Amino acid sequence: MDISLGDRTIRCLTISLVFLGCFLSPLPTHAQDPREIIDRVDRIMRGESSIARFTMDIRTENWDRSLTLRAWSLGTEHALIRIETPRKEAGTATLRAGQEVWNYLPRVDRTIKVPSSMMMGSWMGSHFTNDDLVKESRLVDDYEIEIAFEGERDGVEVWEFLLVPLPEAPVVWGKIRYEVRKADFMPIWARYYDESDEIMRTMTFSEFRLMGSRLVPTVMTMEPADKPGETTVVRYHELDFDVDLDEDYFSLRNLRRQR
Amino acid sequence: MGDRWIWWRLAWRNLCRNRRRTLITASALAFGYLASVTMIGLWGGMMTEMIETGTNLVSGQLQLHDPDYYPERSMYTTLGGRDGIDVDELLALVRDTPGIVAASPRVYGGGLISSGSETVAGMLVGVDPVHEVEVTRLLRTPVEGRAPRAGEREILIGRDMANVLDVGLGAEVVLVAPASDGSLGNDLYRVSGIFATGVAGLDGSFGILPIRSLQELMALPENRIHEVAAAVEDPWAAPALGDSLAMALAARGLDYSVLPRPWTVFRAELAEYASLAGAVNGIVVGIIFVMAVFGVANTMLLGTFERRREFAVVRALGTGPGSVALTVVYEGFILGIMALAAGALISVPVLYWLHNYPPDLSNMFGDFTMAGSVVRPVLRAEYSVDGPLISAVALLITSILSALYPAYRAVKVLPADALADI
Repeated sequence: MDISLGDRTIRCLTISLVFLGCFLSPLPTHAQDPREIIDRVDRIMRGESSIARFTMDIRTENWDRSLTLRAWSLGTEHALIRIETPRKEAGTATLRAGQEVWNYLPRVDRTIKVPSSMMMGSWMGSHFTNDDLVKESRLVDDYEIEIAFEGERDGVEVWEFLLVPLPEAPVVWGKIRYEVRKADFMPIWARYYDESDEIMRTMTFSEFRLMGSRLVPTVMTMEPADKPGETTVVRYHELDFDVDLDEDYFSLRNLRRQR
Repeated sequence: MGDRWIWWRLAWRNLCRNRRRTLITASALAFGYLASVTMIGLWGGMMTEMIETGTNLVSGQLQLHDPDYYPERSMYTTLGGRDGIDVDELLALVRDTPGIVAASPRVYGGGLISSGSETVAGMLVGVDPVHEVEVTRLLRTPVEGRAPRAGEREILIGRDMANVLDVGLGAEVVLVAPASDGSLGNDLYRVSGIFATGVAGLDGSFGILPIRSLQELMALPENRIHEVAAAVEDPWAAPALGDSLAMALAARGLDYSVLPRPWTVFRAELAEYASLAGAVNGIVVGIIFVMAVFGVANTMLLGTFERRREFAVVRALGTGPGSVALTVVYEGFILGIMALAAGALISVPVLYWLHNYPPDLSNMFGDFTMAGSVVRPVLRAEYSVDGPLISAVALLITSILSALYPAYRAVKVLPADALADI
């Protein structure tokens, strides 16, 4: 049921920031070690702060809609996303603080906590889930990571990482595959599989540009495998890193502030 | 002609010869009949109650949807698709169908219900409060407050949900539900009442609100509904009624199709349980009459032995073994008819009593659950044609079967030996 708010957007944002931070930082000397690369990503993202403005174009079988959003993030624990347009929904916001997700609904001037049972629900009707927002990018903690492929694809040197969850890891995916460009460590796509090895969704990264003085993929497209033709496209327009934000910023009081 | 009836007459006279024994034997069969009819009636009563409580609480006995509504139950799959339907026209057609007692429109949505820092995920059901009470009883008896009123932003929630949200009557709750335009519908509603069914799935996660309110929350126009729920006169007729209704609607030239879904589909476990109960009836009837077979056969065997000399005489006078056997079988049959008449006579008042003034064992036992339905411990017997008919056939078969072995023994009597024994 599409109840939850904000999963996908936030996850998208988080993931994108993770990748951005990861791939733009100086790489360790043994960059080919998959764990080190991913760990580096995690480490860089922790304590990283950012402010972004992006659009989210959602296409479904039943409707299309476009949202403009503004997002603030601090590490992997804190994120705040606020809808700017359409006007009818302006001010609607989602806060992630620790493992909790809250939504602010300006129409009724109330905040509501998203229950754990709704974490797999979609955010604002997009193809991202609330869980995308809450799950940290501690991939090295939750996944066994190996290089599944290394070589040239479509004329580009790439790595393909295979991430298999550790036995006790609290994750929903059966495995994840990432393809990363070797030259600049830009992600190309991430494919998410369920436990029966069925592909569930694909996130594609594109339009790599300098933003906030870093090279980042500015467009991310999420395609659910079970709904062909449906997509959510996140397009970054502004992105700043290492901004002055602290944890107090990610408070319920701030969530209610409509700007 | 006279020859043919003579064996019946003989059989009758034999029965009259020892009236006390005949009476006792017939009584055994008659009480067997009473036991059988009562058991079937009580089972029937229990099944009827189970089906009623299982279907008239929230679901109704017959539902109409868009053919693609199940199994996904997408909010977009409304009757008539995106264009919607003339809801009043469909309701009128359904209500005019013979066998259908009432019909009411519904809209379903998944959503969050929140108060303070507590939020629960729930199923939101939009109903027409005026007509819904004719189909189901959830709105009829809230334990607190009242049902939501049409035109008001009110909601009826379950006791468990009220406890989790820590809200009482008059409290404001926030409803959040994905809307059909992709936006997130949200609004404030006042708790008008609280229900308590004892069914955890309902009490913890159902929120019922006026249909128009839910349509507004979900950005659905008035002509888009997910379901028409109907109550029918005879629950067992619901599947056939659904099919004929769908055909009748198609014949009316409606430009959309409707898929009927009787309770035997959406509460298949109830239907299976009821079928199982039918099989149990057969076993119970079988046991009762098998027990009777041995008792009756024993008595008849005694009677046959007493008449060994008579059989020997008639055989010596040239009567065939078949005719001798027939006399005994006829005896059994006549006994069966007498027992049936007596059994029917005593069964009628007992059934009438159990149907109209059923013993209520609530003091001794609490309500219990069968196949997910709450059943009261009330021994109410349901009238049926099958019960008395099956029991009557079983009784007559029993009486004939009981006579077969004695008949065989009678045929086996050797005239010379039997006469010489005297």
